[in-house]
Amino acid sequence: MRLTRQQQQTLRAAVDRIIPPDNYPGAWQSGVGDYLARQFESDLRPVLDDYCAGLTALEAESVARFQQSFNLLSDEEQDTVLRHIEAGEVLTAWDVAPCIFFNLLVNTTAEGFYTDPEQGGNRNGVSWAMTGFEEPGSPSPGSPARQPRWGGSGQPAWGGGHLQ
Amino acid sequence: MMTSHDAIIIGTGAAGGIVACVLAEAGKDVLLLERGPALSFSQVGRDHLRNQRLSIYGHNAGPELEGNPRVFVDPAGNARTVRPHEPDYHNNAACVGGGTRVYGAQAWRFMPADFRMASTYGVPEGSSLADWPLTYDDVEPFYERAEWELGVAGDGPALRDYVPRRRDYPLPPVPPSPQTVALKRGAQQLGWITSPVPLLINTLPYGRRDSCIACKYCVGFACPTDAKNGSHNTMIPRALATGHCKLVTAAMADRIETDEEGKVNGVSYFVQEGGLAQERGKAEAHTARAKIVIVSAGAIESARLLLNSYSTHHPNGLGNEYDQVGRNLQGHLYPRAYGLMREKVFNGIGPGVTLATTQFNHGNLGVIGGGMLADDFIKPPIDFWYDSLPPDLPRWGLANKRFMRDNYTRVLHVRGPVQDVPSPEGRVTIDRAVRDRWGIPVARLSGSTHPATVVAAEFMRSRGEEWLRASGCERVWSWRPGLVLSGGQHQAGTCRMGHDPKTSVTDKWGRVHNHDNFFVVDGSLHVTNGGFNPVLTIMALAFRSAAHIVRAYFQCATG
Ligand SMILES: Cc1cc2nc3c(=O)[nH]c(=O)nc-3n(C[C@H](O)[C@H](O)[C@H](O)COP(=O)(O)OP(=O)(O)OC[C@H]3O[C@@H](n4cnc5c(N)ncnc54)[C@H](O)[C@@H]3O)c2cc1C
Repeated sequence: MRLTRQQQQTLRAAVDRIIPPDNYPGAWQSGVGDYLARQFESDLRPVLDDYCAGLTALEAESVARFQQSFNLLSDEEQDTVLRHIEAGEVLTAWDVAPCIFFNLLVNTTAEGFYTDPEQGGNRNGVSWAMTGFEEPGSPSPGSPARQPRWGGSGQPAWGGGHLQ
Repeated sequence: MMTSHDAIIIGTGAAGGIVACVLAEAGKDVLLLERGPALSFSQVGRDHLRNQRLSIYGHNAGPELEGNPRVFVDPAGNARTVRPHEPDYHNNAACVGGGTRVYGAQAWRFMPADFRMASTYGVPEGSSLADWPLTYDDVEPFYERAEWELGVAGDGPALRDYVPRRRDYPLPPVPPSPQTVALKRGAQQLGWITSPVPLLINTLPYGRRDSCIACKYCVGFACPTDAKNGSHNTMIPRALATGHCKLVTAAMADRIETDEEGKVNGVSYFVQEGGLAQERGKAEAHTARAKIVIVSAGAIESARLLLNSYSTHHPNGLGNEYDQVGRNLQGHLYPRAYGLMREKVFNGIGPGVTLATTQFNHGNLGVIGGGMLADDFIKPPIDFWYDSLPPDLPRWGLANKRFMRDNYTRVLHVRGPVQDVPSPEGRVTIDRAVRDRWGIPVARLSGSTHPATVVAAEFMRSRGEEWLRASGCERVWSWRPGLVLSGGQHQAGTCRMGHDPKTSVTDKWGRVHNHDNFFVVDGSLHVTNGGFNPVLTIMALAFRSAAHIVRAYFQCATG
């Protein structure tokens, strides 16, 4: 990954405001950083320069607005910085359109958090448990039980049928 | 090296697989060409960002992202090259089974009025709305055949007000889920009739394959128990078992060949040695001869193939004497509505689609046609995040996360395909300046559906919201449909059948006008595309054309 240390720190703090921790882990703890690291090497490579430029500009916005690095701001201050960027109200010069960067940040964070865990994020299916998509411990889709889950011994629970 | 066959069929999708099987079982020697590979369950995989339903970075049933461009022309007239997983590509799939490898498998018949749209509604200006050269009764026996030979689960008696049928479905419908109960209650309150959604899914073991295990991955994925019935696991294995059908994969047809008199006599195609992952330049060119050539490459690629098969006798492409090939591209606008319930309506049991109403397919004041409305297949959370959240919900932060946490299981969805009022300007042409990996000029898509389609879609969106409110949703949201090109996964109409060669491409059997041995059999034939998912109609017509081909060409000739 070609991110500088500063960009890494900004990214980590930013994704945690896009999907903050509450009674479920936030984006970073659930592996969004790992998801992004993989994507920066593959699908996101064509937009990596925009992504990095956006992170640098986000840091500059934070300094311009609060005289501090983004990752050191309070949650509320971080949200303020992000909201201004979302609205296109920026104080500094940006090398990428703020809305393009912001969309990338939001979409790729959500992707890492909600997509299948094989892609690096959504560790242990945490977002799937959170949403109720998968109950923890439900059978792995790759090794299906051979019975319909809605029925007993091959007979559907809704009874009968219209077989002729 | 040149081989010779009774018939060459191009494409192994919904229609191609059926025609191959019927011909091979009649003892005919069939060469079946498929541009894509045969995909195993694990090759299709479970990638939530790269599948045929949500294709953010790619997809899982072809075509390959590199080397298969199309050109899309937007309403302002700007043309750009698009890749297969981009929405403007209007992709279906490219693999053995075509769209049926990964489809959702809703198995709707069209209604009698769907075959008589011009007579029923008149033809609005600027539209190419027309009647079919056949009626529902002509197709009914073949709907039944498709339902029984592939296997459809449904409740025939519950659907008797929608279409007449002689025989019930072979399999019982999928069971209701909590959302079914809520929607049924709402429909009852509105006085609407509902029924279970018919699906090409084994609710019991059928066709020597297992039954559905109710996983959450029907649309855009493959079935872990092979209980979803498509060409790849029903008709094509049967065709191959006869020993009369030779399937060649990674085989891209580039031209229909004709003789000195302009009569169709074969197909040229490229075979990518070592499979599609290989570099450009290693393709081997072949030509095969046949008594009959049958095109079944899907509505966009079939039109492309006919247009690319020009010659001195057919300077505008095959079947295109009157500039009809590629016109009237249709799919479906798909209005959808969402609503928030107080209680959970999700139980994680797939497929997810359970209940529909066909109440508004016709007879709507001020609307041409209409459409079916149903609940939806289970959506993976990332798909839900992109597709289903209320427009006024912040897209990030705790509010967004909490909505996902609290309401993923409480959102009711209804959606449905709206009958397209076709426009001749929604079309497929050829762009000679852009070539695919084989050097073949690519499809260029332009135009849009007729504005009357948008009126119907807006009407159906309101019915969707109405249904959700009556079902107990506190908040309801949806989006206004726009005037766009409709095609995509439900693409159809580009080689429409008809009596008049000046306004159609084939006769009512799919035989291309002015040719006696050249057929189109896929969704391209649809004169109109119904207010329903199209695949069962494509299948029924394929059975019908195949039976005709065997009867008319082979029974007396070789009998
Ligand atoms: C995710 C998804 C969900 C869907 N859900 C439903 C549903 O629930 N209900 C429904 O009714 N429909 C559904 N559909 C649509 C349905 O799959 C299509 O209507 C149907 O497959 C079209 O059949 P066809 O024979 O016209 O073409 P296809 O099935 O597209 O088959 C065409 C075949 O031809 C091959 N081909 C193309 N060009 C060439 C060439 N030059 N040489 C060799 N081979 C070629 C292609 O690779 C493909 O295999 C869905 C589709 C998708 C992708």
